[in-house]
Amino acid sequence: MKKLLSNSYLLFFFRVVLGFIFIYAGAEKISDPAGFSTSISNYKLLPLYTVNFFAITMPWIEIIAGILLVFGIAVKENALIINAMLIVFLIAISISLARGLSIDCGCFGKGNQIGVQKLIENTLMFLAGSLLMIYDSKIFALKVAHSE
Amino acid sequence: MNLDYKNIFAIIIVSSLIGFLYNALNPKSIPLIKEERILVFEEEQSEITDPDLNDIPVTEKNVMDDEIIVPKDGNIIKEEIHDVATEFTKPVAIRLSRAYQLYNQGVIFIDSRSKEEYADGHIKGAINIPFYESEKYEDVLNKIDKNEVIVTYCSGEDCDTSILHGDELFEKSYKRVYIFHGGWDDWLETGYPVESK
Repeated sequence: MKKLLSNSYLLFFFRVVLGFIFIYAGAEKISDPAGFSTSISNYKLLPLYTVNFFAITMPWIEIIAGILLVFGIAVKENALIINAMLIVFLIAISISLARGLSIDCGCFGKGNQIGVQKLIENTLMFLAGSLLMIYDSKIFALKVAHSE
Repeated sequence: MNLDYKNIFAIIIVSSLIGFLYNALNPKSIPLIKEERILVFEEEQSEITDPDLNDIPVTEKNVMDDEIIVPKDGNIIKEEIHDVATEFTKPVAIRLSRAYQLYNQGVIFIDSRSKEEYADGHIKGAINIPFYESEKYEDVLNKIDKNEVIVTYCSGEDCDTSILHGDELFEKSYKRVYIFHGGWDDWLETGYPVESK
């Protein structure tokens, strides 16, 4: 099992898929900042004055972590950033579902209601991210010249 | 798992800075501190010409009285709809009693809830445009004249789709949009006309 999960092609596949999902998610949010800001505030979890701070920064962290992941740069670090965000999303969605809120997820712009499906999606992405954190993925990686 | 925490820190800081820079340059930028979406209720908004309407404190106790009030003041309300409600600066929130008055005037009700919830039961004659897939219902919406008075509602006070939908309709230049705050729950509880299909 360990051998299968640490297969470099499988890890490469996870890396690219996860990277592109986050690039797409970030881009959708950037295209409609006001909408994303509303989505965050609808969760009613954050104090209002912090909402736009996250609405402005989070999509860019998603995009940049996604791009770096696709290119295989600092894979473990970017997988950790993505996993940290996924945990926050999972908690936020779980709390909202428990509170019986029927709100927009804000995951990929407008048009996704929160639900169990979102929890499953996020969990799968989290698992892929965890594998990347554990095993890294070095094939087809862009070589960054730096002195170590 | 040896992680380079400096890299993590750098990625987050640089991304955030890009975010702020982009937001500063973006024509669709948002303010750094979010303004609250405050629902402005009609009775708070302005001193509407008809004092009788304003004097009714909207509490649950009064809700039943409206059935008597509506026919009596029917003409006055009709005038109001044409004079006062010509154009709003943003969607106006209303409560049950006012929603029922508008209902009696044949105003269009838009049900922002999902198809399934709508099928289970909805305000009689309401049109279903689920907010989460409103782009699929463009043709339904396009049949509604931009000058029509529209009331949006969702499941009750805790849902937000009626508000978001009201704002969306407003952006699409429907300028006489009411948001029925109590929504389906209040309507059903009072026993006003419903239907299901």
